[in-house]
Amino acid sequence: MLELTDVTRRFGANTAVDAVTLSIPEGQMVGVIGRSGAGKSTLLRMINRLTSPSGGEIRFKGKTVSGLSGPALRTWQRDCAMIFQQFNLVPRLDVLTNVLLGRLNHRSTVLNILNVFTVQERANAIAALERLGIAQTALQMAGTLSGGQQQRVAIARALMQSPSMILADEPIASLDPLNAQIVMDALKDINRREGITVLTNLHTLDTARAYCERVIGMAAGKVVFDGPPDELTSETVRMIYGASDDGAEISESITSTSISTPRPVVPVKSQSTGPLQPALRVQPAASGVALPA
Amino acid sequence: MASPHHSGLVRDTERHWQQLARQRRLYTGLGLVLLMVALFGSLWFANETNAGKFFDRLPHFFDFFGDMIPRDGWEIWRAMFDLESPYADGSLKYDYPEGRVWLTDSLYMPEYVFKMIETINIAIVATLIGFTFGFLFCFLAASNLTTRRWLRGLVRRILEILRAFPEIVIAGFFAAILSLGPVPAIIAVAIHTIGALGKMFFEVVENADMKPDEGLRATGGNWVERVRFGMVPQVLPNFLSYTLLRLEINVRASTIIGAVGGGGIGEALRLSISRGHEAKTIAIILLLLTTVIAVDQLSAWLRKRVSGEQAFANPRGAPA
Repeated sequence: MLELTDVTRRFGANTAVDAVTLSIPEGQMVGVIGRSGAGKSTLLRMINRLTSPSGGEIRFKGKTVSGLSGPALRTWQRDCAMIFQQFNLVPRLDVLTNVLLGRLNHRSTVLNILNVFTVQERANAIAALERLGIAQTALQMAGTLSGGQQQRVAIARALMQSPSMILADEPIASLDPLNAQIVMDALKDINRREGITVLTNLHTLDTARAYCERVIGMAAGKVVFDGPPDELTSETVRMIYGASDDGAEISESITSTSISTPRPVVPVKSQSTGPLQPALRVQPAASGVALPA
Repeated sequence: MASPHHSGLVRDTERHWQQLARQRRLYTGLGLVLLMVALFGSLWFANETNAGKFFDRLPHFFDFFGDMIPRDGWEIWRAMFDLESPYADGSLKYDYPEGRVWLTDSLYMPEYVFKMIETINIAIVATLIGFTFGFLFCFLAASNLTTRRWLRGLVRRILEILRAFPEIVIAGFFAAILSLGPVPAIIAVAIHTIGALGKMFFEVVENADMKPDEGLRATGGNWVERVRFGMVPQVLPNFLSYTLLRLEINVRASTIIGAVGGGGIGEALRLSISRGHEAKTIAIILLLLTTVIAVDQLSAWLRKRVSGEQAFANPRGAPA
């Protein structure tokens, strides 16, 4: 259970996040929507503590994380993995090393600095890459991969952290529709199978509707909507995004990045996303795909 | 194109623009006049304080070169490769074979080649020491990695002090303590190199992309780990390029320091000039010229390879 109480962040005279109070039970997949500058990124960055809150309290499983510092803070950051719009990998290291860097906080600094990883750790990293369908890129430089592949490397790195929760800050904003779907499917899959809480910023409504069981709408730093996607009426959408001058509806099909316009809650029939994708398709019932540890 | 509707605005803007342009031209002209006055004034002053000898002495400019012509052209090669001279009379001037450095019973290295290697060695050791400490210091001096202002300020001041003194001053100081030889030369060049490379390095670090660093911070990596994986892979090609450039500079610097007692080829050059040994002097100058050009070319080639690799590594990576 992640609990935010009156969490506020001010930048000078601006209030980016204004007294947000939320509680997110374990295992939920939550989408945060809102206009640019609504405070979505700041909210996520405060939870991971890349940004510190100016006021309020963030608690996880009863433990206050908003006041942590030093090693305790780094342990929290390890438990609360983060995925970025620009992937934030190390472009000049190979993919495998990038994934192994998810283990940094689990190991001694001396071994980390010397870049010494065990066979087991490397095997786990390759398994994580395989789960995301990009094991064949393991020895390439991360910077030479396509955006969609880089984002999957970032997810593999997050998995290596053995996190209790994954925050994703606009994970698909710089990706094409196909890669966006692959990345969102992967996050959904992790949420389903491992029961890891996923909190993701999205800027397309239909993605939030299709993948999230709960949607939080933010406007001007405040939470203005919190509920299941079904309750997102055109009126609430206007409230979140602000009405245009002539009061016209916001058309989802204009901003949509989905491949098929009707929005499936779970991708119904797996469209071909390349030969190496089947492992990350959401297959609720059977499927004996082995999970990497 | 100016339609009558906004001709007023067009006219006003044009007038204002003309006014600004006139002002700019005026300042440029005044600046040029001032520069000319300062230049001619200082030249006149320099000539006057030199007791007006500059133009009187100018015809003697080439006398020095005249004094450097050896008895015959082959003497230069005999001096360079320590061969017997037909003019040998027991004096220092023609004792070329005396300087031979015997590697085996039958194989020797010419004296000046040996001295040249000594000088290059001084430069390499000093550059390595400078790289090591510059590397360690630069991350502490970079404002994007070190948030503690006092620590950053302290490291920057240390780097400034280290590069404030020219090598030759530090060399003179250490030669007084440690006596003559290559050790004070190495210390002197290294100290200056730490300061110079440290500054270049931390500027590279400050211009680096912080996204990898942020990514590692979000995984719970500590400062050292973030520097090691988020920063070093990114800045290392630039660091190597600057280090090679510094090596070039240090080869020249250690030659000069040799002339004030730091050993190596510089010392040999000073001795032969002051003793008036024409053939030896020309041999050393030729050797120096060849070496400096070779080192420059080699490091330019290496730097191109290093930075080429860097350009290659980021084709589709971090979007601009």
